[in-house]
Amino acid sequence: MENKERKIIEIPEITRVEGHSAVVVDLIDGRVDAVKLDVFEGTRFFEKIVVGHKYYEIPHITSRVCAICSTGHVIAAIRAIENAIGMPSNNRVEDLRELMHLGMIIESHATHLYALALPDYVGAQDLMDFASRFPREFQNWSQLRKLGSSIQTLIGGRAFHPINLQVGGFSRYPSAAELAALLPELESHEQMAIDLCEMLLMFEPKFRRTTAPVFVALIPESPHYGYFGNRVRSTEGWEAPIGEYQSYLSEVVPAYSHAKRSTFGGESFMVGSLARLNLFGDRLTGSARDIFALSPIAAADSNTAWNNLGQAIEIVQAIDRCMELIGKIGSEGEVNVSKPSLKLTPSGHGVGAVECPRGTLYHSYLFDSEGSIIGADMVTPSAQNTARIEQDIREVVESNGTETELLQSKLETLVRAYDPCNTCATHMVQLNYINTETR
Amino acid sequence: MKAKKLPRISVHGLTGCAGELLVILENLEKMLPYVQIASFPFAQSKNDDGPVDIAFVEGSVSQPHDLEKLKSIRNKCKWLVAVGNCAVWGCVQKGVCSRFSVEEMRADVYGEESTISVMPASAISDHVTVDVKLSGCPIDATQLLAVAASLLKDHLPYITHKPVCLECKLRENACVLIEQNLPCLGPVTAGGCGALCPTAGAACYGCWGPCESPQMDAMALILSEKGFKLNEVITRLQTFGAPAELFTRLEKMA
Repeated sequence: MENKERKIIEIPEITRVEGHSAVVVDLIDGRVDAVKLDVFEGTRFFEKIVVGHKYYEIPHITSRVCAICSTGHVIAAIRAIENAIGMPSNNRVEDLRELMHLGMIIESHATHLYALALPDYVGAQDLMDFASRFPREFQNWSQLRKLGSSIQTLIGGRAFHPINLQVGGFSRYPSAAELAALLPELESHEQMAIDLCEMLLMFEPKFRRTTAPVFVALIPESPHYGYFGNRVRSTEGWEAPIGEYQSYLSEVVPAYSHAKRSTFGGESFMVGSLARLNLFGDRLTGSARDIFALSPIAAADSNTAWNNLGQAIEIVQAIDRCMELIGKIGSEGEVNVSKPSLKLTPSGHGVGAVECPRGTLYHSYLFDSEGSIIGADMVTPSAQNTARIEQDIREVVESNGTETELLQSKLETLVRAYDPCNTCATHMVQLNYINTETR
Repeated sequence: MKAKKLPRISVHGLTGCAGELLVILENLEKMLPYVQIASFPFAQSKNDDGPVDIAFVEGSVSQPHDLEKLKSIRNKCKWLVAVGNCAVWGCVQKGVCSRFSVEEMRADVYGEESTISVMPASAISDHVTVDVKLSGCPIDATQLLAVAASLLKDHLPYITHKPVCLECKLRENACVLIEQNLPCLGPVTAGGCGALCPTAGAACYGCWGPCESPQMDAMALILSEKGFKLNEVITRLQTFGAPAELFTRLEKMA
């Protein structure tokens, strides 16, 4: 043993990500012995927080898992509860939920790309440095973020932790005129998102994982490029209903650590924009379709860095789809809509899932006979990606050499490309591990 | 010309949803001309841990690491501002502690053998002196900027904690509690949101935390008269981290 040279690369806190995490790579004689992505965000026990609460309180509690994807948590919770009720869907409600969700996709992706990820590509030290040297890009972020936020504020009542989305429908329905007022902004902002795609297309990735991951995403329930569904598909051609998620998402305890990780049939996998585009890129329309066709993603290059490009393409698609939805709602005029009710009776078990900005999010609830929660489970995208992030780190270290300084920045960029959301990742049963002792 | 030295601020997250970090990030443009961002790990990689004029802290204290971090922040700042419900009251992760012990939750969520360090979630003022408490879930950007502007002039801002009902009446809404029998917590919840939920025809669920002198027992009595079960009402009132001492009379009723 004493002849072996042991070296540990440690990134004590990954900055410019949501929440708190660290990376530790343990090298023996230049070979990777262990990789650990350590999420040290404090525990919040959401699965217990909801217990004892009535079903109609749940969307407002689960939104607090995470601000940036609060809309996703609210809709996943509502879908799970409505599945337990066996509630018929209402077209107007579905359209407005989708519009709301697209607002989140625009805001979350724009914030991640411009404020958190882009400084890596242009060599900016921090956001302030980035803002002063790239004022146009900084302005574009601000504009796109505001667009996503005004969509969510109109429909949801505020930019995050929405108050209007309820089990059964909306407390307040926006008028066709209010929705139409978003159109000029949507039209004028599409070019910014296209420019963002073009900029990201120019950046040759600084690192390369050596194997292509298995991608997993929800099969959109309507024929367009969508974010809601009740079945998942993998790039290996496998499909399953989300109600069975506990059987296909299993936990493993890798030999190198006692950390638990979510796996898909025992293998690591990747969820998020890159996964959705790999599986459903053929459903894109307009400019998003054209950009995608020319992108390395369509040419089967599965480099992690292209997840950023994938997010930008999804912003373009989201803007297009928002305009389409607003047009549809306007042309349909007044329709019958359902109103939220406190008198519903969810019973037994319900699972709901949405594609959040970072990937598939599952909510699962067990109810007593009076509609109160007796058990809950949430599986977040970041938890699902953890095993694949570790595998990526291993592959990048093994193929790029172990020059610490350069490697450290590459690894941070790599982890950031996944857009990990650690505030989310700490909230699932089984699949996560938090270790404060090693710090 | 030598640039004038700007006051230094820092922005930190303990355990929470990162919502306040997001609100601050989104409003940085308005603050940047007047301050220098010494540390903001959510938004930048190069951070300086030296002394600052104002430290904004989001999140509750939910693990020993949070407490260490909080104490070190307190030691290096002139003004400490608790931003958001998590920092001011402890939010949902504190609310749940009134029903379950952390050991029980750890065993249920992470397994019986788990040894991760846990502690009951608490507001940051339970541990250090807090100069300004700015609640909200999320906080209001206008209030945030007003607090920052006041402190830059070494002036403690005055923040009211009047109930949501006051803002609701000013908006001339019909009362959803009285007229629709919805479980509205407006009478005991701090305003600042502009009575968002009742204005949309929904019940306030208490996300900004308690208002000044909240009458929890009277609130519970009204709701139980309307047919809501007392234990469900108490669970609802405690969701967003209202301190246990507000419920002593109520516990006797239950």
